Amino acid sequence: MTKKQDFYSLLGLLRDACAEDIRQAYFEAARRFHPDKNTSPGDTEFFLGIQEAYEVLSNPKKRVKYNSTLSPEKPADILLDQRVLFSRQSLIHLAEPQLIYVLMEFSHPANIPAPLAPSLNLCLVLDSSTSMQGVNMDVVKATAIQIMRKMKPQDIFSVVAFSDRAEEIIPAGHSTELKKMEARIHMLQPSGGTEIFSGLEMAYNEIIRNVYHAQVNHIILLTDGRTYGDEDKCILLAHRASEQGVGISGLGIGSEWNDNFLDDLASCTGGSSMYVSRPQDIQKTLLEKFTRLGSAYAEETRLDFKIPEGIELHYAFRLQPEAGVLSFESPMMLGPIVREASLRVLMEFVVQPHPVQQKTVTLLDGKISISLTDELTPTRPIPVRLIRPIADEASTDIPSAEIVEALLRLKLYRLQEQARLEVTAGEYDQASEHLHRLATHLLSQGERDLARTVLLEAEHIQQNKSFSQQGRKEIKYGTRALLTSGRSTEEP
Amino acid sequence: MIICPNCQHKEMSGAIYCSECGAQLIDMTIATHRINTSETRQEAQRDSSRIQPPPPAHLQSRISLNMIESGQILPLADRTEFTLGRSAKDQPIVPDVDLSPLNAYANGVSRLHAVLKFIQDQIVIMDLDSSNGTYLNGSRLPPFVDTLVAHGDVIHLGKLKIQLLIE
Repeated sequence: MTKKQDFYSLLGLLRDACAEDIRQAYFEAARRFHPDKNTSPGDTEFFLGIQEAYEVLSNPKKRVKYNSTLSPEKPADILLDQRVLFSRQSLIHLAEPQLIYVLMEFSHPANIPAPLAPSLNLCLVLDSSTSMQGVNMDVVKATAIQIMRKMKPQDIFSVVAFSDRAEEIIPAGHSTELKKMEARIHMLQPSGGTEIFSGLEMAYNEIIRNVYHAQVNHIILLTDGRTYGDEDKCILLAHRASEQGVGISGLGIGSEWNDNFLDDLASCTGGSSMYVSRPQDIQKTLLEKFTRLGSAYAEETRLDFKIPEGIELHYAFRLQPEAGVLSFESPMMLGPIVREASLRVLMEFVVQPHPVQQKTVTLLDGKISISLTDELTPTRPIPVRLIRPIADEASTDIPSAEIVEALLRLKLYRLQEQARLEVTAGEYDQASEHLHRLATHLLSQGERDLARTVLLEAEHIQQNKSFSQQGRKEIKYGTRALLTSGRSTEEP
Repeated sequence: MIICPNCQHKEMSGAIYCSECGAQLIDMTIATHRINTSETRQEAQRDSSRIQPPPPAHLQSRISLNMIESGQILPLADRTEFTLGRSAKDQPIVPDVDLSPLNAYANGVSRLHAVLKFIQDQIVIMDLDSSNGTYLNGSRLPPFVDTLVAHGDVIHLGKLKIQLLIE
């Protein structure tokens, strides 16, 4: 806590906070930094600061006087560069539904100096069921140790292992006794089944003890198996985590885990889901994820919104920095904004016929909230309204090349999604037809290996009336990876 | 409502790609014409007596394949990408332009041999790593590399000769 903080930012409050907000924030902070409990140096001073802040802010007279000494609040919209592209300039009055695509981009403004690497509050949740035995477990252990060594002094790290039950391997704290902690990871022995909820719940409890804004709070779950019966409990927990500003990402190893579940877990917290088929790739994937977490400019970007009647948000997808499906309901957790790449979200809206006298259509009305990783002061939500004029005649404009390019890549992923839905519905011929089309597109883009996998899978579906565990993941995460990799540098 | 020219699937107005087959549904014509120097250079090298001056390759321009051996002319329309190849029994992929009736197998045409693409206002060909290769005016093309083509160019898919006619 090197920066000189005003009382509001000490308590994590906006300037117009009401008395009850102030009281709540004070109790929360006092509980966390009480000298009886705190461990790290500087916490006691922080606690005294909180006391002073509360004394002033809880007294209306003192508060008014104190407010007059403060410099004006930074407007929130300069903290974020926003760009919105529509697939067409205007809608048309039609007697049938129509589509419009919106590409939203949020990035770290160039005129704001890049913040230092944010503090991390990270928990690794390791599957230690019997199936992890062997190379998988060895690589996971080695990677966990590697990540632990990369921790900065102010970072908080914890490790939870789970099989039928959860075990706290490294309790949340600063990495002090590295040797001892490494030994504890080494001693981890795989045994038992896979009950993700027990592991996730313990991880949540570890991380929540140190949750604070102005740092990256994240749980990374590694699993190679399928959890039975506790998926819903996990999702509920993920929603709770997300409310507290904690993201959850999942890494699935091999072919047996439940990809839909891990995707859901990620999409309701703004995290990402990743897939590795071979143990050799675990390390690279995890370290990349770790690096991305450490380059966050803003954490947990959140879009709260309302969709007016006559409009349907049909699809929402994050293209960048990590490709993934988003929840179609408010609040939509968009994940972090990293320094290297903007956050890009593509939405598809279905617009039902509107009365002819109407001149404009609101597609979405909401606000974006971000929490900066180097700023204790919370930022005011930034309003977002997507409005299009509605005309009698079709406009002849060409959609922006960026939207067309994004959709070109996304269509491959969506063909795959469609095939999955069709298999679930028992429409095997259609599914295999869609996979063939996907393969053709992949081939024409030079993705021969993936195309071959897709064709084999189409055959598998014809014969076995279902996807193979491995094939469905290869295809899903393969087409998803095309969204972020190999970005073509075509001229406009 | 839009009807996909490729698969006749009905799409809502405003769609950009067909959700059924992935074909592009909009015309990406760009008003300005970009001058490409490599095109000009190629032009200079080409035997000029062979063919009439080629018009710029616009998206709306129609492209036809002149099957030199059989004299048959195959017009291509309504898409921005055409895969060339042959269909085979028990083979799921069918190319956009199926050359099987032209003795493609005997001529060494792969099932997915090459693809013709409109990129902005140009037309390019890309070999799809075919067994017997794609040749443009006699020189073999590397696989998966876009190469600019122009009116009158002769393409060999294996031994099958096709002349491009761009109107």
